[in-house]
Amino acid sequence: MGREPFFRRKSSISYKTEEKTVVRGYDLSELAEKGYTFCDALFILFQGRIPTEAEEKMLEYEMAEFLEHSMSPSAASAIAVISGRPMLPAAVAAGVMTFGSAHGPGAAHGYMMNKYLERALKEGKSIDEIARICVDEYLDAGRPIMGFGQPQHTDGDPRAEPTHIKQEELKVDGVYLKFQRALEKHFYARREREGRKYVAVNMIGAGNTVLADLGFSPNAAWCIGTLTRGYSCAAHALYTMKKGRAWAASKNEPMVQMLDLSMIKYVGPEDRPVPTQEERQEYAKKQLEEGEYKKWVI
Amino acid sequence: MGDMKKRKLPGNLYDPRLRFDYENREHGTVPTDTTREPFKWVSAVAYKNVHRIVARGYDTTELVEAGYGFADMIFVDFQARIPLIEESQMLNYILILSLEDGLSSPAAISRIVAKSNVYLTQSAGASILAFGHAYGAFSAFGNMLNKYLIMVEKGKKDESQAIDEMIEENREKEYFGISDLMLKDPAAKRIFERAKKLGVARKYIPFMEKVVKRAKEVIPNPVDLDMLGGIGAAMMDLGFTPEATWAIIAVTRSYGAGAHWLEEVERESFLKYGETLTPKEDYDGPEERPVPSLEERSKIAKPFKAETLEEWMRKREELKKLYGSGHSIVEEIEDPRKLKEKK
Repeated sequence: MGREPFFRRKSSISYKTEEKTVVRGYDLSELAEKGYTFCDALFILFQGRIPTEAEEKMLEYEMAEFLEHSMSPSAASAIAVISGRPMLPAAVAAGVMTFGSAHGPGAAHGYMMNKYLERALKEGKSIDEIARICVDEYLDAGRPIMGFGQPQHTDGDPRAEPTHIKQEELKVDGVYLKFQRALEKHFYARREREGRKYVAVNMIGAGNTVLADLGFSPNAAWCIGTLTRGYSCAAHALYTMKKGRAWAASKNEPMVQMLDLSMIKYVGPEDRPVPTQEERQEYAKKQLEEGEYKKWVI
Repeated sequence: MGDMKKRKLPGNLYDPRLRFDYENREHGTVPTDTTREPFKWVSAVAYKNVHRIVARGYDTTELVEAGYGFADMIFVDFQARIPLIEESQMLNYILILSLEDGLSSPAAISRIVAKSNVYLTQSAGASILAFGHAYGAFSAFGNMLNKYLIMVEKGKKDESQAIDEMIEENREKEYFGISDLMLKDPAAKRIFERAKKLGVARKYIPFMEKVVKRAKEVIPNPVDLDMLGGIGAAMMDLGFTPEATWAIIAVTRSYGAGAHWLEEVERESFLKYGETLTPKEDYDGPEERPVPSLEERSKIAKPFKAETLEEWMRKREELKKLYGSGHSIVEEIEDPRKLKEKK
């Protein structure tokens, strides 16, 4: 097929000729030649604009601090996948794809903020008032508010508050940080009133607020967050690939391995005899009628 | 850790608003928690020891030695039971139909990935990713079917009301299971016929048949049961949950995608990084513009930061005009006001 496009469709993101690659009107090579950074390019890609220096610095800060988070579900996935020794990208992809509604739910936090800020505008409420309403509505329904709580940093994510402060220092604190700060104030106050333990803001609450105030849409922000973590997933996978044992079950290692047989705790049906083919139909009918199997169906 | 000298911390790390003392944070990893049971991989699906692999209580070697097959094993793993012979036959029928679907998304993505010279497994994995809530939407279809059947079973609606409601609310959805895709191909309808012949059409197939009959009456354009509806209802009558169906069919399809990887590698060439061109005539983004020098940057760069809600909304509206920014996508999140209190 040579240089023909695989699919043809209109795009306002980029075009590529034999001479150059142009993204949102800017020649990529020229951007690099003139000293712009990868973070600058992300603003151009997702927002079609060159950011201010402060915005670029804030994104550098956010991405650099978000890149590595040691043992989290995404890194665990990458490590587990590479134990089978596929090509490295399979492990990296598995790490990135682990992000969902519990691990780094960046887009959902963004949509929550947009929804309540839009309501504030429509209902003539202040940001502080709508934040209190948001806290009350979620907690009254017994639902967690996105952006709070992290199962490992039980005293608060060490990156979160410094991120808020950096945003203020660089003066890139817009309506989203005002809302997030108000959310935290009302959330902590209500939990204290109810005698419940302190649950701190997490990196979704802090980092995603930054990305929103920098103009990234909820999904663009999620894309930046999860793919930034992809680098450290790759590092964990690569370390395991180069220094660790394939299969992760060797008995020759000094430490018990991740897939050592002793790691299994089985809670399924008791061991049972396999019916012969002659017994099968009666056996299967009885099993179907008794329905005990239903408690195991997934 | 003993030689760690105290140094002044950088940046904002003495700010009084910080939640804890950053200067005196502990070093090192957290000691092993001996007060709780040590880590285990907990599973109700299977275990193994040195000499035995047991799925849902059945020794898998004994299963195959006793003549049980691949489809039987799928029942054991997902439903913890030995299937009737007819159920096993029906699952085999469905698996065969699910193997290939021409150059649809799973095969196309498999071939695109193959062009990078990757392992076959990467292409097959990519093909599984192509199953969503439009293409191969077995989870969405099954949950939709359950919703209306449960209404009937709990007596909240009579059957004809539930069917009308299902059609009204879902007829435009890709996961409806009824469409104009199979008007000339009898394969979907044959699934139901086979299930009835084997005696495994239980509640989903009869219900779906009534939905199809009614849909043909109320939808002006010609429609009929499609493969999603046929396979989805039959799998659920075999006892598979919507999610199990989704996963089983996606993996089954990936075998076909593997064949597409093979053919792509055998017949076509690999692609080099930067080789594929994107014609300028297909580009409709901002006009070409000079890249400003870094000295000019402060004059032209306008921050997104908004001080007021009105300014914020104006800036977002402006960005909505830019395809690829994501600002015009709105994903629904739960409205806590409409949720029952969870205790």
